Amino acid sequence: MRRLILILLFLQIALILTGCFDRKELEEQAYVISIGVDKTERDNIFRFTFEIANPEVGSSVSNVSTKEPAQEVVSVLGTDFLSATSTANTSVAKEITLDQVRVVIFSEKLARSKEFIHVIQSAPSTVDLKLNAQMVISKEKAEDFIRHNKPRLESRPHKYFQYMLDRARETGVIPDAPLVRFFQITEGDADLFIAPFASTAREPTDKYGAEDNYKAGEIDINGGNPTQFIGSAVFKEGQMIDTLTGEETRYTLMLDTTLPQQDILATYKDPLRPDFEISAKVQIDKAKVSIDYKKRGRSVIDVHVNAHLNVFAIPSTEDYMLDPRKRRILYASIEKQMYNKTTEMVKKSQEKYKAEPFYWSLHIRKEFLTIKDYEKADWSNKIFPNADVHLHIDVKSIEFGKTLRQSNIGKVRD
Amino acid sequence: MFPWQKQKTEAIEKRKARKISKNLKDNVKYIEEQYSYGLNYDFESRTIQGPSGRYHLFFYSTTVDTKQLSDHIVAPLLEMKKDIPVDRIVSVPNISPITNMGDVEKGLNDGSVIIFKQGIAEGFEVNLQDFKHRAVEKAENEKTVKGPKESFTESLPTNISMLRKKIPSKDLIAENISVGTRPAVPVTLIYERDLANEKVLENIKNRISSITVDNIRNIEILEQFIEERPRSLFPTLLYTERPDNVSNFVSEGYIAIMMDNSSSCLIAPITIWSFFHSPEDRYLRWAFANFSRLIRALAYFITLFVSATYVAVTNYHSQLIPIDLLLAIASSRERVPLPIIFEVLLMEIAFELIREAGVRIPSPLGPTIGIVGALILGQAAVEANIVSPIVVIIVALSGLSSFAAANYSINHTLRISRFIFIVAASFYGLLSLLGAILLWAAYVVSISSFGVSYFSPATPSTKSSHDTFFRMILKKERWRPGFINPKDWDKK
Repeated sequence: MRRLILILLFLQIALILTGCFDRKELEEQAYVISIGVDKTERDNIFRFTFEIANPEVGSSVSNVSTKEPAQEVVSVLGTDFLSATSTANTSVAKEITLDQVRVVIFSEKLARSKEFIHVIQSAPSTVDLKLNAQMVISKEKAEDFIRHNKPRLESRPHKYFQYMLDRARETGVIPDAPLVRFFQITEGDADLFIAPFASTAREPTDKYGAEDNYKAGEIDINGGNPTQFIGSAVFKEGQMIDTLTGEETRYTLMLDTTLPQQDILATYKDPLRPDFEISAKVQIDKAKVSIDYKKRGRSVIDVHVNAHLNVFAIPSTEDYMLDPRKRRILYASIEKQMYNKTTEMVKKSQEKYKAEPFYWSLHIRKEFLTIKDYEKADWSNKIFPNADVHLHIDVKSIEFGKTLRQSNIGKVRD
Repeated sequence: MFPWQKQKTEAIEKRKARKISKNLKDNVKYIEEQYSYGLNYDFESRTIQGPSGRYHLFFYSTTVDTKQLSDHIVAPLLEMKKDIPVDRIVSVPNISPITNMGDVEKGLNDGSVIIFKQGIAEGFEVNLQDFKHRAVEKAENEKTVKGPKESFTESLPTNISMLRKKIPSKDLIAENISVGTRPAVPVTLIYERDLANEKVLENIKNRISSITVDNIRNIEILEQFIEERPRSLFPTLLYTERPDNVSNFVSEGYIAIMMDNSSSCLIAPITIWSFFHSPEDRYLRWAFANFSRLIRALAYFITLFVSATYVAVTNYHSQLIPIDLLLAIASSRERVPLPIIFEVLLMEIAFELIREAGVRIPSPLGPTIGIVGALILGQAAVEANIVSPIVVIIVALSGLSSFAAANYSINHTLRISRFIFIVAASFYGLLSLLGAILLWAAYVVSISSFGVSYFSPATPSTKSSHDTFFRMILKKERWRPGFINPKDWDKK
């Protein structure tokens, strides 16, 4: 009996003494908000850039604001996320934690190289790094991207990324690309993965590309933060192969049944006055994809997309609201415009990429009894590139916002 | 038995058995000696020489109604010319003959008047008690907005009269059992004869009669003598000061235990749910009562777990905190010298100090507590970087919530358990916190109160009025609580 009590007592002591091994006080940790990864001259050695948030900035309304900067950027060489973290800790006093990483930025150069798959492989095994962090591809070096990104209105860096990515995702010009989706698609080995494309280097092009026919860096913005999030990087088998413009990204997302988009702002040609444009908020229902798989010959893919428009601006002052005939023209014209753009995108993926970024392999998997059969049928190389894709785009409704009738230009100019 | 104890008991027995003598002088001498007449200033010994004979009265002037004494005893004795028995002379409702000195002593101690007559080996005890007590006042500790306001007072007859008014029935029994020896005082069990379970009643009676202690003066002490696990954190008797609450319980088949000199009573057997219910839950309309229960349930969880969860999450699971909150906590903690666990314990203890001081402080000084508590411990501690503001919020929240408990006894349980959970959370975070909760819950389920499981009717599940978590519409309540096995289960 006495022995039992003694053993229990010792067990308790063990509990108390070992109790604090995993304990970390909050203020003793440095929270990394974003990680940048760059290629170096040497193979399989990368430059990791950590952007660490300063908790004291913008945390309290009443406290006197400190003169410290909102973030600290440290960049070190390393082979994987964890070893780089410990190297960076030689200059950062607090323990660097990757718990709160929101964005992992890879440079385009690294993404296009064969080493990319090696560095990203260490992400899932890094315990701290959460796989719902967003993957972003930067046009320039990731380190430069992080150093140049200077949000003016958000005093904390994570806020900028959070708002920026959320907003851009809603408008559909960049895709939702958590790290876990990269692994899902790459290991599925049937589809293309697209990740947001961003840049802090402004190289405005002369052309006016409506509101979203741009890639990152091309938009002519004066003032503000140089960072632009638009367009996407296309990955095939874990390696970047191309970039899409914002518009192409939007049509890609429209056909994808796994990614929701909420309110897209888009402009369309005015059918009656082709020199004017109509801008509208478009709500797109989840696409319906059905694949008629034929073992021999071309499979048929039917895609149904329903759209609801809320027209904001009709600069041509054509009266679409009250005139049913004109309205029918408008419906037909918008459907046609959407159809053409989408078809272009599908054609591009069939002919140029020989694989699709719409995650349609999900819809053919059910045709096969075993994984072996599915792999043998070879969706990405055999079925999709030769398939007949029928797009059915249907504009279900058009609303005209708050105005009930157009102002009569003739009378105004009278 | 020890020899000295034996001697003592024998002497007491001998004294008690002494017969009243025919000789009035002997009796007077004996009683005056026993009651230190002359030294005890309020002990009166009066001889009355009436036409019909010689009488002697003994009483405490402080415990009898002197007006009734002179009108209904002294005056008739002085006037009566015929020699008839005393019980036919005095005109009081309550008079009984006694033959031995033990009864005389008992009567005197209870505040009665004792009458002896020359030549008769018999005395008379006339009950003219007039003990002073507080008037019936408003309930102080169990307040309700809607419902009766009166509360028990320190007089047993007054308290029972309040209950009889609420349950006017011949089945309402008020049974006395005496407890203690110096002196033996009665404990009154109140129950409905046709409802209360015999076994439970027997159990309570046995526990009361097996108490061996010189005296028990009130119900608060008695509670600690009859409960099953005196060291347990959980009370197994419900302590209430509201007669309406008691009558509700008694008419469900529970048993109330009362004593003189207590302004409250005990209800047995009890389950944990009764501590969380307030009588107002039945007085309020269905939706309002359940809303109030929901708020209270929330308060219990907050008071038990909010500080512990804060300690666990900030120390071990910082990835669970939204980053804005995380950075806010980290920045406010940057200048705080203490680890989170000590910071939280410090503030919790400070809050307990305020509470303890608030109970003991003389009421003219009361407002000081508010100023000291709110300003010094709240604002100044934050400004001096002793604690971070979020800890002040959390501790205030958990402290405030602990007072939403409907019963004072369970309030202590919750507050002490909170410390257990905080310490547990500091070992391994949520893992050890969950372990502690598991052990705690297992312990609570294992308790029983007078043979009734502490968690019934939730587990083990029995028929009941479904008044456990939320209550039903009163019309739809059909069964009395089955876990106390009343003689009649059906309410309708």
